Amino acid sequence: MEPIVKTEDLWKIYRSGKVDVAALRGVQCEVLPGEFIAVMGPSGCGKSTLLHVIGGLAQATRGRVLLDGNDLTRMSDAARTMLRRHKVGFVFQRFNLLPALDARGNIAIAQHIHGDGFDPHRFDTVTRLLGISDRLHHRPAELSGGEQQRVAIARAIINEPKILLADEPTGNLDTKSSESVLRMLRKLNQDLGQTVILITHNPEAASYAHRVLHMRDGQIVDGIPVD
Amino acid sequence: MIGHLVWKNALHRPLRTALGVLAVGVEVSLVLLIVGLTHGMLHDVAKRIEGVGADIMVQPPSASVFLAFSGAPMPEALGSRLAELAHVKAVAPVLLQLSSSGGLDIVYGIDPASFRAVSDGFFFLQGHGLEKPDDVLVDDWYARAKHLKAGDTLHLLGHNFHVAGVVGHGKGARVFVELHTLQQITGSPGKASLFFVKCDQRSSTNDVIGEIATLLPRYQIRPLQNYLSLMTQTTVPGLNTFVYSMIALAGAIGFLVIFLSMYTTIVERTRDIGVLKSLGASKGYIVKALLGETTLVCLGGIVVGIGMSYGGQFLLRDLFPTLTILITPGWILRAAALAIGAGLCGTSYPAWVASRKDPVEALAYS
Repeated sequence: MEPIVKTEDLWKIYRSGKVDVAALRGVQCEVLPGEFIAVMGPSGCGKSTLLHVIGGLAQATRGRVLLDGNDLTRMSDAARTMLRRHKVGFVFQRFNLLPALDARGNIAIAQHIHGDGFDPHRFDTVTRLLGISDRLHHRPAELSGGEQQRVAIARAIINEPKILLADEPTGNLDTKSSESVLRMLRKLNQDLGQTVILITHNPEAASYAHRVLHMRDGQIVDGIPVD
Repeated sequence: MIGHLVWKNALHRPLRTALGVLAVGVEVSLVLLIVGLTHGMLHDVAKRIEGVGADIMVQPPSASVFLAFSGAPMPEALGSRLAELAHVKAVAPVLLQLSSSGGLDIVYGIDPASFRAVSDGFFFLQGHGLEKPDDVLVDDWYARAKHLKAGDTLHLLGHNFHVAGVVGHGKGARVFVELHTLQQITGSPGKASLFFVKCDQRSSTNDVIGEIATLLPRYQIRPLQNYLSLMTQTTVPGLNTFVYSMIALAGAIGFLVIFLSMYTTIVERTRDIGVLKSLGASKGYIVKALLGETTLVCLGGIVVGIGMSYGGQFLLRDLFPTLTILITPGWILRAAALAIGAGLCGTSYPAWVASRKDPVEALAYS
């Protein structure tokens, strides 16, 4: 089976003043379609940077990133934007919903940007699956953290992306909401075959994944299957 | 959907949106009132000159089409020579004097009999004609503005006049006194600023103009039938510059307010821009959303500005009944185009900055 994500000697170097800081140092990894991967590691080890580079939000400095066969390192900004639109869904720690729009608007805008227009069937399926059908007319400020994160997940998967990238999605949630969100991610993975890469500090969260990658100092130090 | 986003974003910060709308409204109303006032005043003066009913106006060489700028350099006796010309039915000498008491007004010094002959007389709303040296006639707009009625006393040009009558507007000036009285007051005995000439028939106008030109070479001889067309902004020195300066100022207000408002907006919505980029929104999508928001604010501002202009017109008419403000559909369209143009220019740089934001930095913004 061809990997959905493959990185080869992936480097990301940031310029901080006059100093170069390497956030990724030759990362090698592969993610197969339908896998649920957790990436763990201490703060500053490069987890989020890896997610941004895989998702096309940031450009790699060196090496290769293949996403569904597309080499992101050779793509222009516009091409990476197009790729994100069609193949990637993001979920962030701070939910990042648009405050002016209600839950429905926040999900629908992703469909609009995707360009295929509003698909009511897909919309109903996703919102029912995430249990937010009765909260669609509420603005983010009127929703609990768990509800906001479920809206954010709905927005991320509404266009059936090839991969869902979740950057510490439970970092701002209480235990109960965290479990709910993690169960949702596992359900999406199990029921819909959604490929998920989850960044987390929390070993309990990582236990929902098939495989855990540990990072340290910009490198993947091991990849342990979860029993 | 982008329209929905634009609408919701505008509603999300109602005070800022309202201030933007108000600023564009001020911009639009500034243009409409300044232009309306200049056009209205010119139009009003021209209509009143045409309304005298004469066929020709004779002024000395170098005299302005704007009567207020004219002096009294012609001998009154010239009128009898004009009256001798073929096809001339009547000639009325008029002495002009600018009065600054309670506003700027042109006072006509007229000989009642000859003025009646060229103008078919006044329409009296109150009182009677000029009978005594200190009598004055005022038109209905002037009477309303100064709260005058027949029998009242009017202090004008340093003298107390008796308001003999109130007449319908549209006969050249708003205030009329006896020619000889005005000549004495202004120290111009036997002088006139202009002559109104009435022909025996309108078709003779060009022939009479030719005869007068022969008799008085270099004098300003104007047919009054198309006087309105002479009264344009371009005929008043500096007026065009003033009007266009005010329009530029209004445009600058709109540009700066929208620029600052949208710049603040994109700083405040940095993370939202990052979110849109993470969803795959192109640079064009982000620019379109911001331009859409500006267009919405401008459209609101245009409606408010038109309302403010008509409100201002109503208020000014109430306070100064002799003022004429002409708000025309053509200038409404131009003011609207200016508002939208200035708004879109003001948004273009913030929108460009927003579209180029790094998505990772934008998402990390707090």
